[in-house]
Amino acid sequence: MPTAPFVERRESHLEVHLRPTHFIPELRSKKKASVLEEMVAHLAKHKATRQVDALLETLLQREALGSTGIGKGIAIPHARSTVVIERAVLLARSSKGIEFEAMDGNPVHILFLIVAPPVDQDPIYLQMLSQIVKSIRLAPARRRILEAPDFGTIRTVIKGQLSDE
Amino acid sequence: MNSQLQALVALQDLDLMIREAKDPERATQEQELGFELHGVDKLEKTRERLAKQIDESLLRVYERMSRRFTRVVVPLEGKVCLGCFMGLPTASKRTAEPGTIENCENCGRILYRL
Repeated sequence: MPTAPFVERRESHLEVHLRPTHFIPELRSKKKASVLEEMVAHLAKHKATRQVDALLETLLQREALGSTGIGKGIAIPHARSTVVIERAVLLARSSKGIEFEAMDGNPVHILFLIVAPPVDQDPIYLQMLSQIVKSIRLAPARRRILEAPDFGTIRTVIKGQLSDE
Repeated sequence: MNSQLQALVALQDLDLMIREAKDPERATQEQELGFELHGVDKLEKTRERLAKQIDESLLRVYERMSRRFTRVVVPLEGKVCLGCFMGLPTASKRTAEPGTIENCENCGRILYRL
């Protein structure tokens, strides 16, 4: 009996950019500016940028444009900056929650930081933003990300959410 | 990175952010994902303040080149300008003196060293 061919699903851009080194299981900082600083410093440690102050300033300006705290405990700070050489995504969690001026006024527990260089056409940057929003839109997925014991589990949750489309 | 170059980088990042926030298609895409973009006026005021910190002649060069290039300030990686991707044979011989601004010999863009 013929069997259906097994078609391997291609990894999404978000999955490609999610790396265990770009993960902060529990943020030390409690306030928006210091959280962004902690996240940028972590990226710099892993060579995503060498210009911490310049990148931080750009991210703070992006927050001045409008908070990236989109509600339901999620924030997705993002910016394209001259001082970023390659796209990078950093995932961070805060069990206590961070006051991030989110749209619903609630504290933020899960943060995805996206940075990218300002190349003329970069559809992948927007696709990644969209994939993050899709992967955390359901409450059970958000809960599993928050409770996950390690990065691998989080990656599996996100992969599962993106595969369900 | 010297302070003038740092201010130029910040200015360029702001210009990009303002341009994207004002681009209806791009703004709609972000808003549909749930992001707010109501602070364009605030960014424009910050841009004004920042521009005043930059040497007039350097700012004029930046503004003039902005009409030609999306990115005027670009990284120099090794000897390669990451704006036009041309190798700059003399780049390594230069000493990055404080206060000096380097330009790409090929495209003229303002360079900063990685």
